[in-house]
Amino acid sequence: MFRLRSLAEAAAVNRRDLLRIGGPGMLGLTLPKLLRAQESQGTAAAPEARAKSVIFLFQWGGPSHVDTFDMKLTAPQEYRSKYSPISTSVPGMHVCEHLPETAKMMHHFAQIRTVHHTMNNHNSAGYTALTGVEPPIDDQRLRDSLDLLPAFGSVVDAVAPNRNEMPTFVSYPHTIADGSTTPGQRASFLGKIHDPLFIPNDPNAADFELSQLSLPSDVSLGRLSDRRELQKLINRQVRGLDESAAAKGLNAYYEKAISMLNSRKVRNAFDVSSEPTELREAYGRTTYGQGCLLARRLVESGVKFVTVYFSRNIGGRSKTDGGWDTHGFDDTRMYEILPEWHLPITDHTLPVLLKDLEDRGLLQDTLVMWFGEFGRTPKINKNISRDHWPKCYTALLAGGGVKGGAVYGASDKYGAVPDRDPVTTGDLTATMYSLLGIDHTTEIRDNLSRPLPIANGRPVTEIFA
Amino acid sequence: MFEPLRYPALALTITVVVAGGCVPVWAGAPPSFHNEVMAVLSKSGCNQGTCHGNAHGKGGLKLSLRGQDPDADYITITRQSAGRRVTPLIPAASLLLQKPAMEIPHEGGRRFPTESEEYRILRDWVDAGLPKDDDSAPSLIGLTVTPAHRTVHAPDVSVSLNAMAAYSDGSTADVTGLTVFDSSATFVTVTADGVATAEQSGTTTVVGRYLNQQVPIRLEFVSARPGFEFHTPPPVNFIDEAIFAQLKRLMMNPATVCDDMTFLRRIHLDLTGLLPTAEQARAFAASEQPDKRKALIDELLASEEFNDFQALRWADLLRVEQKTLDKTGVDVFYNWIRSSFAENKPINQFAAELLAARGSTYKVPPANFYRALRKPEERAEAVAQVFLGIRLQCAKCHNHPFDHWTQDDYYGWSGFFARIEYEIVENKRRDKNDKHEFTGEQIVKMANKGEITNPKTGQSPGLRFPVSGENNVANDPGAAGVEQLDRLQRLAVWMSDAGNERFAATQANRVWGQLMGRGVVEPVDDFRSTNPPSNPELFDALRDELVTHDFDVRHLMRVILNSATYQLSSSSDETGDQPEGSFAQVMPRRLTAEQTLDAIGQVLDVPIQFGGHELGTRAGQLKGVRNGGHRYSPPEIGDRFLTLFGKPDRLQTCECERTNETTLAQTFEMVSGEIVSTLLTQSQNRIERWLNGGLNDAEIVDNLYWSALSRSPSADETAASVLHLERQEDRRRGLEDVVWALLNSNEFLLRR
Repeated sequence: MFRLRSLAEAAAVNRRDLLRIGGPGMLGLTLPKLLRAQESQGTAAAPEARAKSVIFLFQWGGPSHVDTFDMKLTAPQEYRSKYSPISTSVPGMHVCEHLPETAKMMHHFAQIRTVHHTMNNHNSAGYTALTGVEPPIDDQRLRDSLDLLPAFGSVVDAVAPNRNEMPTFVSYPHTIADGSTTPGQRASFLGKIHDPLFIPNDPNAADFELSQLSLPSDVSLGRLSDRRELQKLINRQVRGLDESAAAKGLNAYYEKAISMLNSRKVRNAFDVSSEPTELREAYGRTTYGQGCLLARRLVESGVKFVTVYFSRNIGGRSKTDGGWDTHGFDDTRMYEILPEWHLPITDHTLPVLLKDLEDRGLLQDTLVMWFGEFGRTPKINKNISRDHWPKCYTALLAGGGVKGGAVYGASDKYGAVPDRDPVTTGDLTATMYSLLGIDHTTEIRDNLSRPLPIANGRPVTEIFA
Repeated sequence: MFEPLRYPALALTITVVVAGGCVPVWAGAPPSFHNEVMAVLSKSGCNQGTCHGNAHGKGGLKLSLRGQDPDADYITITRQSAGRRVTPLIPAASLLLQKPAMEIPHEGGRRFPTESEEYRILRDWVDAGLPKDDDSAPSLIGLTVTPAHRTVHAPDVSVSLNAMAAYSDGSTADVTGLTVFDSSATFVTVTADGVATAEQSGTTTVVGRYLNQQVPIRLEFVSARPGFEFHTPPPVNFIDEAIFAQLKRLMMNPATVCDDMTFLRRIHLDLTGLLPTAEQARAFAASEQPDKRKALIDELLASEEFNDFQALRWADLLRVEQKTLDKTGVDVFYNWIRSSFAENKPINQFAAELLAARGSTYKVPPANFYRALRKPEERAEAVAQVFLGIRLQCAKCHNHPFDHWTQDDYYGWSGFFARIEYEIVENKRRDKNDKHEFTGEQIVKMANKGEITNPKTGQSPGLRFPVSGENNVANDPGAAGVEQLDRLQRLAVWMSDAGNERFAATQANRVWGQLMGRGVVEPVDDFRSTNPPSNPELFDALRDELVTHDFDVRHLMRVILNSATYQLSSSSDETGDQPEGSFAQVMPRRLTAEQTLDAIGQVLDVPIQFGGHELGTRAGQLKGVRNGGHRYSPPEIGDRFLTLFGKPDRLQTCECERTNETTLAQTFEMVSGEIVSTLLTQSQNRIERWLNGGLNDAEIVDNLYWSALSRSPSADETAASVLHLERQEDRRRGLEDVVWALLNSNEFLLRR
């Protein structure tokens, strides 16, 4: 399994061998790119790994920070949330009344209340949140081109890949978009090899399975094995071809694909249906809820980075579907929608996931991140709802290496701008890499061979346990 | 504000002791900030991108990247941090000395000891009161590193490099000790005093960098091969002479010439993107014509499929993509590109027509080039990359770290493209929020004013060509006496002039890279002094061949294809590593997305559906990125396959946008995916027809091998396949297995 990964491991011992494999004319397995990335870590020592995996719960559409975790109890009425605050397991800390279960688990979360950037549109802000870097322009239909930065998980796959048989980076169940596909969900210039193992299927569906691991109905494992024997016979025919770097690369991928198809462990990792009914109910029988449960199964089986997208679209007008983009358009009302859809789902998943991870002894090794692409306007708009607000919003981090109950940074009395300790998306990114034991100054190279640091900022070590 | 103290008297008392004479010294003067202190900061790695040269600095100290801005660094060092970095009264207490010498903790480790020359230079400079060079100080005007090229034979594994600087006052100095040496190959290390040592045989380029000058040095390390005898196939033309001469120097034998069937398959894929059919393959195998390879080259160069395949490559580079060009634009632009190759338009004329194009994007096809590139900087970057092999992007935000381009060069070049305007006749775009989407006719126009300014200086640098020695438009052949030409028309004249060696070299190198899988300069669009050609003689000869044959791409291809080098085998008896860019043997590479899918379609003889195209259109014939006319409908089976296998989105003018790397997802698609299995089990495919045609198992297997691999099956393969078929209750199922094995074999998936 993961033959190529073991090649990369071997490289640590014998770099020359790796170069030979990665030499001219090879399939572009991008090992040289990886190698450069490793080299460029340079003399600075990698930080201590406080987390082994990350579960990134991306809240597409932009949740209102001032109606959830950064409630401004003393703000004027036209700013103040229509929801009541409730106290939490952290003395003096409040969350909104529609998050009662979450309130009981707040001693696990560190909050950063001053995340900010300058992108006002979903796609450009989404890209910023998913990569930590702002795009060149604030473009509502930012094009997903190879000069933009890769997803966090793809970077992890390039600079610190898994050493076990599981993939490094898995994402599901949506490709998020707002008019056009949001950049930042894939490997971009790092190469398709570092794309996530993406599952487009609904983990809440009765027939959920990993499509990549399913064989056509008329092909059994036995028939596949017959086919494989015929294939291997052909591969032995041409003198020397099997020794070429290109053929070795292909052979390695076939070994891996076939062994994944045969592997009970891999198949099992994706099998949410084997979870007890009560636990499945506890997470909520929603696509997102079962996605959170699947995330736990995946990190348990060794996946390093799991991204779960809350919704496919920015939503905001429906009580039964979609993301957090609650402007109040078309006579919809944010205050009516959130308690029906977004907040119950959140209150079913966040505390349940943390509890589940804790019960299984996984929480100390798993970093859970919860945030969207921006917060929402501190002042309530004419639709009694809120619009986009990237100038200051809240990110939640919990688990691996994070100081539970910590609050870093403070917004002003409206929740409008950072009052103290502002944190950029680059800082947030650096924090995540640092917790994973990856030097945040590690460089990757784009298609023009320009060196780029994986994070443009510094880790917020104040929230480290 | 802290003012640097000056101790002119003290400066005279400094005793200059130069170890090995490796530092320039102006007698009696303190170290020069520009020429020595800055060099120490570079040599010690302080201003690297990973250290203080980072955009955010490190540990509170930010220096300019690789020392490109000495004036800013002077202020940073002398004025910031309340002057703690430099303390002239007690020089040794300066952070500038204590940190790198690790007398106090330094995250970057110890860069040099206190007894080093680097330490002495910094200390003496601080001690002298931090003198800043005045305008009369000599400035660096040239750097020479010797040897520029050396072949080192074992048992020798080292070579000493010597760097000499030339200054504006006419003086020269040995600056070896202050020059940074970086090797492109990791098996070569260069010591601080310039000794390059190789751990294994091979070739490398070492770049010597002192202040703002960089010089490449090409080194070849040859292992001891007692009794080595040099053999080559008979050289056919200048290509083989250049390649074999280098291999002889490297004491490495090229592979033998490949067999006929390998050649047949290779050239069909390279020129048409398609497999030879079983009939073509059998006929070529049977032919006894002595020059049958040459004849086949001519035949394929004249084929319609060749035009398709060339059009595909250039449609990638010129961003033929529907969202911005719309369906009509894609059609007319693609058709123009294809007919340009069909009529064998000289490549310089092709470039000139693109550069000078204006008018309706529906009526003047090449005007779509500018329709796709909406901003002056985008146009400038694209034209530099596609036609001149220069990646100027770095110079947008700072001077290019690996080349001589400055920000003024970047904005001066962009100025050529500043006056393009669009008259949007109509825009019936579907998504009103999408500024990239245009549906409707546009007219590309030239305004008569508009300039680009360098945001750092606020000035317009004036028009500049991005080719060294020609940074002045006065050299421009279009300028003299042809005043009615506007700047883009003048640019087109300059670009396509036979004397524009850079254009010719870029195109010749692209053609070579297309056929050989690797440019003589690689990447093919990244020409710079620090990335020299792997074989300079070949590089020059290819360029000259293109120029002397009037930029005829077919001619250049014909010369390359007839060379022994192109026709070498992919296997070799040589045991060592083949140095990169030596072309001693052919390196197998994966078929592209379109080649793979069309080959599958050919073997099974089934058409594949692409969105918006008639059934029967091949992947290699698609005009746009996908879904001609149906960008909003879900992608068809063929579109999905191409995306998965790396067909580019055409949002960049870079060949690098096409990715030919293999991924796990692709392997799953080939092994068990929906697309391959749909084609395999389709009732109307070739398997069914052969079954119904009354052929026996061995005959069908033979046909399949000729279709997929252009050869007959070996005895083992026939036996194994027939046995497998005999064991099946359903013959068809058995044949599907045989085809699956063929489509998934390395021999099928690789071009060798």
